[in-house]
Amino acid sequence: MKNFMNVEILVGDKKIHSITNQPYNKNILNFLDDLSKNLMKLKEIENYPDISAVAFFCRKANLMNQKKIFFKNKEFRIGLGLIFHIAPSNVPVNFLYSLVFGLITGNSNIVKVPSFKFAQIEIICNIINKLLKKKHKNLKKFIKVLRYEKENINFTNFISSECDARLIWGGDKSINEIRKFSVKPRSIDLTFADRYSICIINAGKFLKLNHIKKITLLNQFYNDTFTLDQNACSSPHLILWMGNKVKKAKDVFWSHLAKISKKKYQFIESSVVEKYTQVCKRLMQNDNIKNYKFFDNTLSTLAVKKLNKDILSYRGRWGYFFEYDLKSLSDIKDISSKKIQTVTYYGINSQLIKNTILKLSLPGFDRIVPIGQALELDFIWDGYDINKTLTRIIDVK
Amino acid sequence: MITNFKNSSPYNEMSKKQDKFFCKNLKQLTKHHFTNSQEYKKFLIQNNYNLKNTNLEKFPFLPSNIFKEIDLKSIKKDKVFKIMTSSGTSGKNLSKIFLDRKNAQNQIIVLSKLIETILGEKRLPMLIIDQNPKSASNIFSARIAAINGFSIFGTDYTFILNSKGKVDHTKLKSFLKKYSGKPFFIFGFTSLVYRCFFELLKNDNYNLDGGVLLHGGGWKKLEKKKINNFKFKKLLIEKFNFKEIYNYYGMVEQTGSIFLECKYCFHFVTSSYSKVLIRDKNFNILKNGEKGLLQLFSLLPTSYPGHNILTEDIGEIPKFNNCVCSKKGTRFKVYGRAVKSELKGCSDTI
Repeated sequence: MKNFMNVEILVGDKKIHSITNQPYNKNILNFLDDLSKNLMKLKEIENYPDISAVAFFCRKANLMNQKKIFFKNKEFRIGLGLIFHIAPSNVPVNFLYSLVFGLITGNSNIVKVPSFKFAQIEIICNIINKLLKKKHKNLKKFIKVLRYEKENINFTNFISSECDARLIWGGDKSINEIRKFSVKPRSIDLTFADRYSICIINAGKFLKLNHIKKITLLNQFYNDTFTLDQNACSSPHLILWMGNKVKKAKDVFWSHLAKISKKKYQFIESSVVEKYTQVCKRLMQNDNIKNYKFFDNTLSTLAVKKLNKDILSYRGRWGYFFEYDLKSLSDIKDISSKKIQTVTYYGINSQLIKNTILKLSLPGFDRIVPIGQALELDFIWDGYDINKTLTRIIDVK
Repeated sequence: MITNFKNSSPYNEMSKKQDKFFCKNLKQLTKHHFTNSQEYKKFLIQNNYNLKNTNLEKFPFLPSNIFKEIDLKSIKKDKVFKIMTSSGTSGKNLSKIFLDRKNAQNQIIVLSKLIETILGEKRLPMLIIDQNPKSASNIFSARIAAINGFSIFGTDYTFILNSKGKVDHTKLKSFLKKYSGKPFFIFGFTSLVYRCFFELLKNDNYNLDGGVLLHGGGWKKLEKKKINNFKFKKLLIEKFNFKEIYNYYGMVEQTGSIFLECKYCFHFVTSSYSKVLIRDKNFNILKNGEKGLLQLFSLLPTSYPGHNILTEDIGEIPKFNNCVCSKKGTRFKVYGRAVKSELKGCSDTI
């Protein structure tokens, strides 16, 4: 087919299928579980924590939990048809999460992976191919993984006109580019755009933790942030402190975190220089900086004088955080925006955060999760319930 | 601060006294920029910097890319005489360097002092391995700036590349007819000298005896061809019979106090106006013989705070210095730009 010009097919063939399946059926669950097991068995897995995270996500036990949630409602649901996934350019394994969303909800899937040839993508696709060849032949029509350049607009245009839903991951600009290609009248778009995330910590409660529990929490914070160089939308950039003894808590928190990051964090010279440039720029240009602390080249913190919406553009990378002492939780109104995605917290009742958002009717805030869960991609994401959004109800009375 | 560069000598015997003198000047320069640049002042205050410091390693450095991000100047707007820009290879942003008359003049004085050590005091006929900037619109500003900067050491300028980037044989022949065998000066960018001069003239016989070639701009484009400094010299001297070939290293943020290579050991050498340190990823000073980020000092920048800069380049000060020459500055090697990190995150598609 000429539509496939300059398109590299990693999984599947050139036939476009739009068939639906029963969500959470045995075949799919077994396939994903086999995929999970095969990935876990890999020798290279040690070098790819991202692959082991996604493998963990695909295992049956996790998906069975989802299944229970899915069937809690008595209505009859079935897949939408063909889903076109446009994966983000810089999270290698994200395409698999997106594929799982589409597959488990009973849809056919075409996944566009980044044009950069990440090793993780090759590894995962090899295993998918192996499984589809023998044991899971019957799922062949449901999975297509493709790679092509952004410039190949013909293909994006073609699939957009065929699909029933698009899952578009990426920056605001890229999403708008993809949205220029029209879809069928009843097709839907789910967009996962640039977001900003924050963290709220109760200082007094943190200080009351014993040493081991403090270190555990700090390691969880480390995983939320340093794992993806602070680039993930759900990694907090701004840390908000509340409660008693804030000054002391900050000292303990950051100095211990610096010890962890110094030991664990891998970074290279060019990142160091770029981070230093960003820090210097803020110090020189910005009047909203109260003080700057350099713990080590893996960790710098900048305290802001006051909260305002400009802060949503303050993004740290490679261990570079902004912080502020809240007078009361309702101060978060000063930064509230649709851009805010995740709030991670410690020592505060999550219901209290939710109620504050509701009481002040603040925009944004799609997730309120404990520190350590920032990067846990879930079936509820960016405010969407994937189970419901990628299926339709057949209303039988 | 040094106010008169004219009476200085470029390669002083290095001594403790000399180091002290350098740091004293650096201290004054730091204070000068603190007083005259709001941004620089904020930077020092946030870093709790003690202005009394005279320890070379403790002077606060700015990253070279900061000049792409912010306009930094230590002079009033109406004193700006010239703005130098450089595209660099890393991004679309331009570095902007604000010069007043005095700073621009000092750059020329110091550059002359350094170049005199390889070309002598007299202006020499100059062959430029490039297109004439006046007729070529596609060559970028840093190249033009360098050609203009070095042209003050030449006369009878001959640009030997035509608008297609090919050697103009008629011009080259007539230049060599006049000057071959006598001292003359050749200037060009390293990659252009190799690709547009050496490679394109492989089958021609030209004798450039008497010519001193000065070239700079880095080796990135020649890495693929596996050409390094040593091979470059060997090939070009064998082919053209050059008298001498010098590589230089410099950056737009510290124009003037460039680093010329030693003709015996091929290392770059610091002058009386410059110093170098090598730092690791944690900004700790590395021992000689270890590779790390290059930090460069220059006593020249007065109209902008570019006197102490952390570059993106990887360099090394060799462990042993057993060069036969009498230059006592610090010797160093440059390995080019530090490798960029792979993006991790979810900020963009494709």
